Formats: sequence, C-alpha cells, structure tokens
Amino acid sequence: MDVDNVVMAIMLNFIGGWSEGLAQRQEDLMRNLLSASALALIFMVAPANAETINILVEGGGEMLQKAVAEKFAAETGIEVKFTVVPYQGVFDKFSAEIASGSSAFDVVTIDVVWNAKFAGHVEDLSPLFTDAVRSDLPPALLADAHLGGKMIGMPAWANAEIVFYRKDLFGKPEEQKAFQEKYGYPLAPPKTWQQWRDMAKFFTRDTDGDGKTDFWGTDTIGTFSEEWMAHVLQAGSPGVILDEDGNVIIDNEAHKQALEFYIAPHCTDHSVPENVNEIGWGEAQNLFYQGKTAMMKFWAHAYKMTPADSKVSGKVGVAPMLAGEAGIAAIPGPWYNVVPSTSQHKDAAKKFIAFAIANNALGIEAPLGLAATNSAYRSYSGKPGYEHFTPLLETLSAPATQGRPMNEKYQEIVDEAVLPAVQQALTCKEDVGELLANARETIEDILD
Amino acid sequence: MRRTPRFNINGILVNAAALVLVLSYALPYVYLLMTSIKPAADVQQIPPSFLPAVVSLENFREVLQSSALPKAFASSLAVAVLTTVLSLAVAVPAAYVATQYRRKITTLFLLFALVTRMVPSVSLGMPLFQLLKSLGLLDTIPGLVLAHTSTAVPLALLLMSAFFEGVPKELEEAARMDGCTRFQAFRKIILPVMIGGIAVTALFTFITSWNEFLYALLLTSEATKTAPIVIAEYNSVYGLAWGAMTAAAVLYSLPVIVVTLALQKQIVGGLTFGAVKG
Repeated sequence: MDVDNVVMAIMLNFIGGWSEGLAQRQEDLMRNLLSASALALIFMVAPANAETINILVEGGGEMLQKAVAEKFAAETGIEVKFTVVPYQGVFDKFSAEIASGSSAFDVVTIDVVWNAKFAGHVEDLSPLFTDAVRSDLPPALLADAHLGGKMIGMPAWANAEIVFYRKDLFGKPEEQKAFQEKYGYPLAPPKTWQQWRDMAKFFTRDTDGDGKTDFWGTDTIGTFSEEWMAHVLQAGSPGVILDEDGNVIIDNEAHKQALEFYIAPHCTDHSVPENVNEIGWGEAQNLFYQGKTAMMKFWAHAYKMTPADSKVSGKVGVAPMLAGEAGIAAIPGPWYNVVPSTSQHKDAAKKFIAFAIANNALGIEAPLGLAATNSAYRSYSGKPGYEHFTPLLETLSAPATQGRPMNEKYQEIVDEAVLPAVQQALTCKEDVGELLANARETIEDILD
Repeated sequence: MRRTPRFNINGILVNAAALVLVLSYALPYVYLLMTSIKPAADVQQIPPSFLPAVVSLENFREVLQSSALPKAFASSLAVAVLTTVLSLAVAVPAAYVATQYRRKITTLFLLFALVTRMVPSVSLGMPLFQLLKSLGLLDTIPGLVLAHTSTAVPLALLLMSAFFEGVPKELEEAARMDGCTRFQAFRKIILPVMIGGIAVTALFTFITSWNEFLYALLLTSEATKTAPIVIAEYNSVYGLAWGAMTAAAVLYSLPVIVVTLALQKQIVGGLTFGAVKG
C-alpha cells in the first residue's frame, strides 16, 4: 500500500462526512477523524502475514463484535475467528494460554476486572490511542486501560448503571399530585439520594388490600457491591476501596455515607423487598420486569432487552445515575480487546483492534446494543429504542465516574472484605463505621 | 375364598420413606423440567412458581434452532463413547489381573491409580493443556478423549476391581482344565459373567465424560466444543437465559436417562453382583 492510497482513503472519508448535511457535521467529523486515523494506522503498520486471527471472547462479546469482524474481513482479507466460551472460561483459557508460553489467540476480549491480572502478559497498545481515539472515549475507560505505564487494552464496549423508572406511574396526574402534597416537590425521575429515598417510599404499597406490601419503590442488591461503590464515588471519595496510591480508604467518610444511604431503603424506609441478601442483578431485573418495583438502578443494556411480553414493556423510562455531593457517578463495566504477548499474529490483531474502535457503532445493532465511544453512542441517541444512550453516556462521562481499583487482588478483596461488610450492614444491626474499619483491616491483610 | 390383604404398617412406612427419598433426589430435575416448559416471562417469576401457568415449548425451539448446540451434542457423544470404550479396554483387563493375581505390586498399582482421583482436576488441567498442545491435540476429539480417559480409567478400575473380587478363582481354573488359555478363559468365561459389572462401569464412565466441564473448557475451542460448555454460555455476564439453559439441560440429560433405562437389567444385576456370594 503506498502513500497515495492512504491519502485517497482519508480524503474519501472526509468527503463522505461533509456531504451528509450540516446537522450531523460535528458528529460526522469525529467519526471520520476516527476512521481516518484508524485507516492511517492500519496502512502504516507492517503488512501482516496472517490470514486469520483468533479472538477469545465471552458469548455476548461475540455478538457485539461480529459485524465489525465481518467488515474487517471484507476490507482487509484477514479472516476473524471467534472462540466463544462462558464468562469464567475467558479467564481460565487465557490463563492457560499464558502459562503454556504460546497462544492460539491473537485478541482476547476481557472484563475490566481482569485488567490488572493480565497487564503483564499483553502488548502495549499505546500507538492505537491516537488523539482522536482518546478524545472519543470516556475518561474512565482510558484510565482503566492504563496500567504499568502502558495502554493494555482498547475498550470494545462499556456499560454503566443508570436509573430505570416506570414512566406510566411517574406520569399519572394522581400520583404526581399525591407526591407533591406529601414531599413538597414535583414527581420526576430521581436525581439525588434524597429524591431516590422519597420516591421509593412513596411507591411502596399494598396494591391488593391484603395488608401485605406487594409493590416496592425499588430493590437493594445484597449479593454484589458495585452499586454501593457507585454511591461512594457520588459522595466524593477519591477512589473506591483504594486510592490511586494503593492506600486502603474503605473507611473514609464517603464510604460511610454511601453505605448508610445504601442500606437506608431496607433498614429505615422499608421500601425494598426484605430478602436483600438474596437479591442479585438477575433478581433485581426480574422484579422490575415483572412490575413489582417502580424504580431500579441497573446496567443500561437492560433497557433494550426489556422482554416484549414483560408487564413493563413500553412503560420504562431512563435517567442518568444518581448524583451525590460529587455529582453523577457510576462504576463502568467496560470490556477490553487485548493482544496477548504470546500471539503469533500481533500486527493483524492490532489492525483489527484499530478497525474495531473506528467502527465501534457496528456493535450497537447486536442484542446487547453496547459500544464504547462517545460518537458511537451519539450516532444512535435520537433513534427510537435507544433512549438509554443519552443517560448512559452522561453517566459514563461524568467527572466523578471511575473504575474499580486496578489491583490483582481485587476479586479477593471484594469476596473477603467488601461484600461481607455490605451484607452485614444490610442486617441493620451493625455499626457501619465499625464494619468498614474491620473491612479495612481485612484488606490490609490481603494486600500485605 | 378371597384373602383379605394384610395391613402391613412396616411395609407402608418403608415404601413411604423410599418415596420421600426418591422425590428428594428427583425434585431438582423435575424443577428443571418444569422451568424448561415455562414461557420466558414466567421463568424467573418472583415469588417462583413450581408448575408452569402455561406450557410452552419456545425454549426448546430456541435451543434447537441454535447452530452451536447440535454440533456440541455430537462432540459430547463422540468423546463420551470413545472415552468409555478406551477406559473399559484398559481398566477391565487391568482390574482382573490386579484382583485375581494379587501381589504387592498390584495393590500398589491400584493405590496409585486412585491418586488421580485424589488430586483436584483443576491442578491437572494445566499440565494436560501443555501436554496436548505439544502433541498438537488441542481442540481435537482424540485430545479430549485422552484427557477424559485419564480420569475415567481410575474410576473404571476401582469399580471393576470391586466386581472382580466377587469372581471365584475356581472359575478360571475350571476353564484352564478344560483347555482354555488364560486369555481365552478371561474372554470366554469371565467376561460374560461380568456383563452386569461392565455395564455399570460403562455407564458411570460415560456419565463422567458426558458431564465433564473443566477439561472441555480448557482443551477445546470451536471445533470440538462439548455441550456442557455451550449450556454454560447461556449464563452470560449480561444475564442468565434460564429458559434456554434448562431446555438444553433437559435435552442433554435424555441420552443418559435412555441408556440407563435400556441397561436397567444389567445395571441392577451388576450392582447386586457378589452380594449373595459366600
């Protein structure tokens, strides 16, 4: 490929973008800058000998990357093969490959929680992070990719918790009137902690008159701790569990405030189903889909996946994640494409990753409907069925949003210290400050 | 004159206890079956319901339309059958020699064979991965068959040894006196007597390979992926497709149930083999 062809490709991309009308101009400019950068990168790197690259991925990830893989194969002639495994299989198989010293996989799509574990075994992808790519990614996703002085992976897609609410209930005049009279402000999608608690209490009721509550304002998840971590960031903590220097900060004031807020709907307001320590993501989602809760904080993809035969189909509204003193914040859930150091086709793998980020919007048509770049989300935000993209992007890009601690022992810390503390707090019998102080000691032991 | 049936309280109590025991074992499977025939919206109903409000086959339709599952079933079947054949070919003669010609070394042999059952599978996964990789057998049926055989042979050896313990030595001696060689005596006299035990061992070996997950996950990719891996894929990070997963699990359990029912006579015979020997 000579320079003339590169220049021609870049020009054609720009011309395509400018010809589509003024309204879309700014967005198209960003997309085309990305495409042009990626194309330039693709053609500048050494020609790859590989005809096939193998990608190790979890089931949902194959769906999200299939369209881009097909386009990549058509444009470059490099075939892409996916090896799909269950979620934990990605970690197990990649670990086995690393231990064996050579890899059958050229790209592995990993969950962010494994970034620290695999950082020492993957290629530095810094050259792929051009200015255009960097400016098109939420800062939290860039931060999670930066480990040990290198960019270990390129975001493939990202998710975050946002607020889901029942549009039909929030829009009812009689509900609006009753809420206004009781709380002194209008009923609208909640933005703050206090509004969340008020609205959850307001909607909790006995609908069939049998003396038992059968409809709740929301739920509290007791089997995962990420939602509490989001509140920690909203409260203004400089980090979750650990600060950027690796010091344990789980017992700082923001963590305490967040835990007090997290348990309040269960322990004080009784606005959630009682079996909180049995409620996980799946249960929370089902309670909402079955019309038993008025609101939930949940990962944004659930909006598009609302079953057509669900009681709430067509009645779901979405809003950005709640804000605390530090503003809106969430824990992002991105997945990264990494190139194993043992890959036999590194150049082709990097070409694919550059191509994938330049064509990131192609994954949105997949059932999960997720992407990583701002431009990909914006390109769909006005379309029916994608109303969740605007609140998701606002949440992902919020200044206080940041990832989980990048520590190899993260999962152990969560399992041994964080989750037990949250679950004990949800018994409503323990002092939150003491629980977090104990958790701090456990974490320090783990890190020592 | 018709005899009035005797009211046997002990018999009733024993049968009632047996029924409770059977139901407690069967309950998870029955729940799985019930879940598989519920419509998607009812699968994770809160509070959960045991019986489906509406019977629906949409979950079965979904899994049968998937391109991955039939191929994975074929891989599982090939691996399980070959593992069973190979394990029996190794374990049956080995167990016979170890029990009928008992020496210190045969006792040690049986003891060492059990060692692989004592070590957690996960710790053997990595060496197996590297071994098969160096042999170019990753993601191949023979590779997975060898891996499964490495864990199935000790089990088969253990079971067959127990069955052979019940075979009197005089049986082989009588055959030898009638002019058989040792191998002929083993093949023509001993093996036919052991059909029940072999059937039981074959079934357990088949089930071990059929349901094996960890080695299949580590040692296969797309070409020879087995059904337990594909079924586990219904549990994605973004949700668990309970309906499809339970439907696939029901379908996957059918061959084992059919084989067990087909071999019921031999299995019962095998399990009671030696029980009445003096």
